[in-house]
Order: sequence, then C-alpha cells, then structure tokens
Amino acid sequence: MLQFNRVISITLLVVLPVLAFSQDCSFTLKGHVKDADTGSPLEFVSLFVESTGTGAVTDSTGYFEMDHLCKGDYHIVLSHLSCESKNAFVHLVGDSTLELTMEHTANVLSSVVVTSKSDNKTTQNVESINQQSISDNANENLGNMLQSIAGVSTLKTGSGIAKPVVHGLYGNRLTILNNGITQSGQQWGNDHSPEIDPLVANKIRVIKGTSSLEYMGSNLGNVVIVEPKRIYRDPHLHGRAHYSLETNGRSHGLNVQLQKYNPKLSWKINGTLKKSGDQKTAHYFLTNTGDQEANLALQFEKSFADKWFADLFFSTYNTEIGVLRGSHIGNLTDLEEAFHREIPFYTKDSFSYQIDAPKQKVNHHLLKLHTRYLRDDAQQFNFTFAAQFDNRREYDVRRGGRSEIPALSIQQFAYFAEAKYQRDFKRQFRLKSGVQMNITDNTNNPNTGILPLIPDYLAYETGVYLIGSKKVNKSFLEIGVRSDRINQNVVAISRTLPREIVRYDNVFQKLGTSLGWRYSFTDDLLVSYNMGLATRNPAINELYSFGLHQGVSGIEEGNLHLEPEKSLKSTLGLNANIRAKLSLDVLGYYQRIKDYIYLDPQKEIRLTIRGAFPVFEYKQTDAEIFGLDFTGKYQINRSLKIKCSYSFIKGHDLSNHVPVINLPSNNILSSIGYEFFRPIAIGHKKLENFTVELIDQNVFEQKNILPEQDFVPPPKGYNLLNAKLATDMQLKKQRLRFTLKVNNILNESYRDYLNRQRYFADGLGTNFILGIGLKF
Amino acid sequence: MSNFKAFLATFVVATLLITSCKKDKDPVIPNEEEVITTLKYTLTPAGGGTPVVLSFQDLDGDGGNAPVITGGTLEANQTYTGDMVLLNEQENPVDNITEEIHEENKDHQFFFQTTIPGIKVSYTDSDADGHPVGLQTTLKTGDAGSGMLKITLRHQPDKSATGVPQGEITNAGGETDIEVEFDVTVQ
Repeated sequence: MLQFNRVISITLLVVLPVLAFSQDCSFTLKGHVKDADTGSPLEFVSLFVESTGTGAVTDSTGYFEMDHLCKGDYHIVLSHLSCESKNAFVHLVGDSTLELTMEHTANVLSSVVVTSKSDNKTTQNVESINQQSISDNANENLGNMLQSIAGVSTLKTGSGIAKPVVHGLYGNRLTILNNGITQSGQQWGNDHSPEIDPLVANKIRVIKGTSSLEYMGSNLGNVVIVEPKRIYRDPHLHGRAHYSLETNGRSHGLNVQLQKYNPKLSWKINGTLKKSGDQKTAHYFLTNTGDQEANLALQFEKSFADKWFADLFFSTYNTEIGVLRGSHIGNLTDLEEAFHREIPFYTKDSFSYQIDAPKQKVNHHLLKLHTRYLRDDAQQFNFTFAAQFDNRREYDVRRGGRSEIPALSIQQFAYFAEAKYQRDFKRQFRLKSGVQMNITDNTNNPNTGILPLIPDYLAYETGVYLIGSKKVNKSFLEIGVRSDRINQNVVAISRTLPREIVRYDNVFQKLGTSLGWRYSFTDDLLVSYNMGLATRNPAINELYSFGLHQGVSGIEEGNLHLEPEKSLKSTLGLNANIRAKLSLDVLGYYQRIKDYIYLDPQKEIRLTIRGAFPVFEYKQTDAEIFGLDFTGKYQINRSLKIKCSYSFIKGHDLSNHVPVINLPSNNILSSIGYEFFRPIAIGHKKLENFTVELIDQNVFEQKNILPEQDFVPPPKGYNLLNAKLATDMQLKKQRLRFTLKVNNILNESYRDYLNRQRYFADGLGTNFILGIGLKF
Repeated sequence: MSNFKAFLATFVVATLLITSCKKDKDPVIPNEEEVITTLKYTLTPAGGGTPVVLSFQDLDGDGGNAPVITGGTLEANQTYTGDMVLLNEQENPVDNITEEIHEENKDHQFFFQTTIPGIKVSYTDSDADGHPVGLQTTLKTGDAGSGMLKITLRHQPDKSATGVPQGEITNAGGETDIEVEFDVTVQ
C-alpha cells in the first residue's frame, strides 16, 4: 500500500507540472504568517515549495506572495528564526490566500516553554511544551521534560522514575490527562512514574491553576495534559523519525511517526523504542539503573459530513526499569550504613545493560473512542469512552530464588465515560458542562507471596460540572462549579492471624468551585486572578496501606478515619511584554489545605525480626503552601537572548508548626542563547536556525525542613552547567534536525532533595546527547 | 439528527451497563512462604547439660502483636555449641527456613555482636567457597557479666571483605534479613 502510494505521488509530481504547462500557470498564492502565541506578524519567514524548489520570504507585515503557480498539490515548508519548522499543504485550483501561524520556540532553554497569552479559553495559568522541544528532549521521560517550567519539579527515584510535581503537589494530588483521559495507574506510590510516552504527544500543557473543574481526578488545581494533535489534512504520507543517543547510560532511542489523511479514514501511528544501561554519576556507575521501553500508539479519525467527527485512539506503554541495587536495604541499620558510604554497596566497576531485581515492569494500555457533534456554529457535544489497563509488577531481591516473583503485582482496569456540551451565546458568553463517570477496579495478584501494600478495591466515581466564561471589554471572567461522588468498595486482608477478609464501603462527596478574572490593560500587559475551592477524597493507600516500604525503611500505616482534604487556592499572575524585547511572567500562589493528609512519623519504633523500624501513620493537619514562579526573557538583539526562571516554594504544617516535607527546593534556571540569523552554507546545503545555548541550573539547599523530619539532612545546593547546539537542514523533501546537548558539563557530584536515591548515591554525571530528527 | 439521538441512547445504555458497585471476588490470601517468624539459637554446653535457647518469635509477622523475645543465662568460662534454626510458623506444617539458608549459604552470613566482654563466637561451618555461614557456631564465655547479644543475618553480603570471614560486620554490606537482640547474663 505504501509502495503504491509512493508510486502515485511520484507519478503525480512528475505528471502534474507537465500537464500544468499545457494548463494555466498563472495562479497566485499569497497570505500571512503570524506568531501562534502572540498573533503578531512574522517577518523573514522563508517558504519553500518542495516540488518546485522555489520559495518566498515574508515582509514586515508577515505577507508573502508566490506567482506563476499551476493547478496542483503543493507541500510548503515554513522556517523562521526561533520557530519550529512547519509543513503546509495546499491543493491549488485558483488564486488562493493562506493564513498561517508558526509556533515560537523560545529556544534559550533546553526545553521550550511558552506562556500562551492568546489562549483565551481560560483565566488559569497555562504553560506548554511544543512538538519540537518534545523531540529535542526525546531521551527524557515525561517528568523530566516538564522540569524547565517554573513551578514544576520532579520527584524521582534515580532518573528513570520521575513524577511531575506542580506547585508542590504530586501523585494523588496531581491530575495527569493522557489524551483527554485521566491517567489511571498507581499514582499513590512515590516511586511510580506516570505510565505515559511523551513522544506520542504533540503538545504537553501544564495548568498551574486553582481548581481543575473540567477533569476527573484530584481537582486541587494543577493538571498535566499530554495531547496528540489532530491528523493534518494532507492526503499524502507524512511523518517524522527521531533517533537519540546518550553517552551516560549508553542509551539509544528511536521514535517513528507516520500519518496520512484520507476523508474516508485518516490514520496516524507512533512507535518508540528505548534502551539504556547503567547510568553514571561523576565518579561511579549506578549499578542496575538501566531501562527499556517499547510503546505504540494508533490514532484513527473520520469525519461524517461536516458536523460529526469521530476518533479512535489506542496506546500501549511497556517498560522495565532497574532500580539502583545499592538502594535496596533491609532495615534502618542498613540505611544508616548506606548514608555513610562514599559509593553505594553493590557498585560494579563496569557498565552493563543487565536489569536485575530490584526492578519494575509496567504495562499500560489505553483505548479511547471520542466523537464530536457540532449541532450548529454555537453548540457542540462531545462523547468519550475509554478503558485503561495498568499492570505493575515490582521485583525485590528475595531469598530462595524468589527474585523472579514480583513482590508487588497489581492489575488495574479503569473505565471512563464522558458527555460534554458547549454552547456559545451572544456577547461572548460561553457555557461548558459535562457529566463524567469513572470506574477503577484494582486487584492484587496473590502469587507475590507477600501481603499486598494496598488492598483490592472497586472505586466508582461520578461527576458533573458547569463552567461559564464571558468577555466584557478588557476583562475575561470565568466561573465554575463541580460536584463528585465517590464510592470505594474495598476488600482487604486482615493484619492479624488468622488472616481474614475485611470489607469496607466508603462514600465521599466532593465539591469544587472556581472564579477567575483576567484583565488586559493592553495586548502586552495582562493581569489574572484565580481562586478555587476544591475537595480531594482520601486515596486507597492513605486509608489502607499497610506494610514495610523498602525504599525508605519505614512501616506505613493507613488511617481508616481520614476525611477529604479541603483546599482553597489563589493565584495572581502578571504577563508583560515590553517593546517585544522583554517579557515577564510572574505567578504568585497561596494554597491552604484543611485536613491535609501526610505521613506522620510515630513515636513508636516497631520491632520485627529484621530489626526495629520507624512507623509512619497517615494523619491530617492544616497546611499552607505558597510560592512564586518567575520567568523573564530578554531579547538583546535579533540573535542573542537571555532567559531566567525562578521558582520559590514554601509550606507549613499549621497545626504542628513544622514545615511540609517533600516540597521542591527553590531553584533558578538561567540561560543565554545565540541563534545565527542567516543560514550557514555548507556546499549546497544550508544549516538553518543554528542555535547555541548555555544553560545554568542552580538548585538551592532545602532549608525549610527540621532535622527530625528526615533520616539525614537535605543535600547541599548545587549548580549544573548544560549546553545545547541545534540546527535544521532542508533537503529536497525532507527536513533534518540535529541536536547536541551536554548535561552537567563540569561533571559535578551532587544530590537532589527530591530524588529518593539521594540517601544512597549521587546524581548523574556528564551526559552527551545526540539527536537526529527527520521530517517528511 | 436521528443518528445523533440513536447515539445518545446508546451512550446512556452503555453507561448503565458498565455500572456495578461491588467488588465481587474476595482476594486470595497470599501464601507468605518467605516470612521468618522464629529464630532459635540453641547453645549446648560442652560435656552435656541443659541447653540454653535464645529465641525470637513473632507469629503474626510485622505489626500486629509484639514479638516474644527470650534471653538466657550462660555459665562463665564455658564453651557452647551453637545451633541456629529459623522457622516460618505461619505455615502448617511449620516451614524450616534454615534449609533455605543452607541451600543459599554463599549468599548468607550470620554475625554475632555482644556487649559482654569475654563472649566470643566462632564459625564452625562454611560454604563452598570456604567462607563461614554461621548456622553452626561455637560460643565461649569469659567472666561473669550481663548485656546483650545481637544476631544479624545478612543477605548477599561481601563475604570476602576485610574482617568479614572473621565475623566482623563492618564491611559486610548486603541487606539485613534478621536483626535481633537478646538479653544475656553470664554467671
């Protein structure tokens, strides 16, 4: 089929111009190119017509014009300084006008972040990472990719397992949406990474909000949204491929995407393969930290007439991740010993791809059917069905040949259904409402030979929301309300002998409201204020977990009497652009959580045959978390830019008068970047968008913690220097992109407070990452 | 439009169908074979006499009821033959874990630490590499005194590290499978 298509395309390409000569070749294609984020015209955009090899450049108003074109199909490649190259497809039958947009890559940072002020859909603060930075960082996992956004950090176990932390909230408190569906997995575990391949996404957004009413989940305000784009309306086969190579861990990664539009049925396929071995700190190997991943995603789309659109999405994510051998310990004595070791126990002198216990194996599959019906210009309905299956197995070093039997084995099915309605009224008033339902069925596999840490359960959740928004002169207002009912049917195993089955039935009611206001003084000066009230029900692990947590040498005990958390969060944001040279983005937030659920170290030390263990019980308190995210960019001249982002966060337990643990350290990310204005010619080829960047990552010591709150004091602050080189090259019909990144250039030894491996080993040493991308 | 209504009806019906509020199946209670509930260190005096048994027993495993720990009184200046037994008494019949340790003796070693001067424990068994295991030992007492005897079992220690073959735990590394303390009096 592919072969056949190619033959047809080639035939068309050869035949069309020939035919065209006999036809009318006097068509004009003109139009404008604008900045997708700001809406301002883009000058010096070069438009390259693949079939003719000709092109045009936009003027100061973003206008371009191409004459003497014949009837036929044209693929046009747009490229511009600081922008991700873009393909446009035109089926030309007469004089035509094209209005195009290009996405900015504020390429000063290794990962590109744009605060979209033209995103008028919400008053909440949204930051996003676009396609190009996703593929430039293809070697990273989802958590690590988001780290460059101010206010976003990661809670890690080594570097392979990374959970995003937004404004200090993670796990059960952070909603992650994979293709519109609330990710259902094992978010409760601090050492459980979200089971998502970020390379499937074309865009990743982070909402640093106050109350996420539209989505199921924790609703405490912050949401990570991973979303693939619709299939581009181009009837030919297109795609991209990306290969990355890392020296640290000697990892290889390959991602291939193919897509084809067809009015009957459009399709897109995305596959990723990754393999990495033992990573290395500045001085030694991290034995058993390899991982491997194989993912696939399929997307089908079909339009029935103009009004009805349906799409089917399937993705499978499969990974096996090694956990540092030296971090597997038996009791507190071992932990104590580990702190005092320079190099972790079991460290080998040589590199290996071998993954042994302790390790994790995770499979996550998602099937989603979505359909949209446009009743008229003002009304639309959306219906979604989804099913997820999450299979998590964790292996420990065990006696009697049991290392091959998982110590934790959980299978979780989740079913989701949603109906949404949106209506635009007169005078820019919009109403959005929806009904959602989610069923989670969690089952432990008894073959582990170990009492499960969390019990089997069936959770049934229904929610309904209504959000209204209106634009009044320079103000944009948003107000919403949401209500949820959660039913947890839990079947646990007793902790006393003889073992018995104990059943629990819980019902929780959640309520959330939000109020947002954005005021635009001018197009370049915006102020926004948001306030949200939200409730989060206690999660299964907080209620029922029971057992020894290997990684931290503590016994965790759930608490049956937990009440839902009540949160009140406010954010105040300022977004300013001064003479298109200086841009400032400031967001302050304050969140007060009543009945904040946390692990409280108990006075009791529990004696077991393996020694004495500290006991942690889930307790509730009143807590506050507040902070400030700041991002400033300054364009010194056309080529030279500097950027600086600062995240500050602090939290207090108001009842016990102690700090909140596991909050990110304050940090500053600054960078300077130079982009060559003119392409660099190498023979007949040209290197376009040639960029050099130097990035400095400064993480302060976490001082907001008391010595009795942790086994060891937080690690010292650290400073890492990173660099990046990137360039594009246009071939006849393909576009290549080369990136070379160097992380931790100075090979510093450091430990990060939010990396659970810090008790045992240093962070990563120097890493060279080479990436080659091909777009056709 | 009629298509749309049909779809809406299907949606509602399908939604109702997947509604079920109870977790029907009871979980299978896992067979906790790996658990060690009991350690018995039997010290038989040279030339016969009543053996002294130091024991640690925690039948319900971690949590629940507190373990029962029984110390003992030893004779001064005596030599004892030490015999270590590990059991899982949750199983019926009782599972003898000692055999498992014996089979994997290259991966295991017991360590004996005491606060009583004069007590010395030496290994009388060894694995295939000639390294001690500690299932069989000799304990010699000195003058009278009282204090604590700590028995530690390490899984996958570095058995050839400095001092480890002689019973020093400092460089052993590995993970602790057992760490129990007994009150001991020498008189």
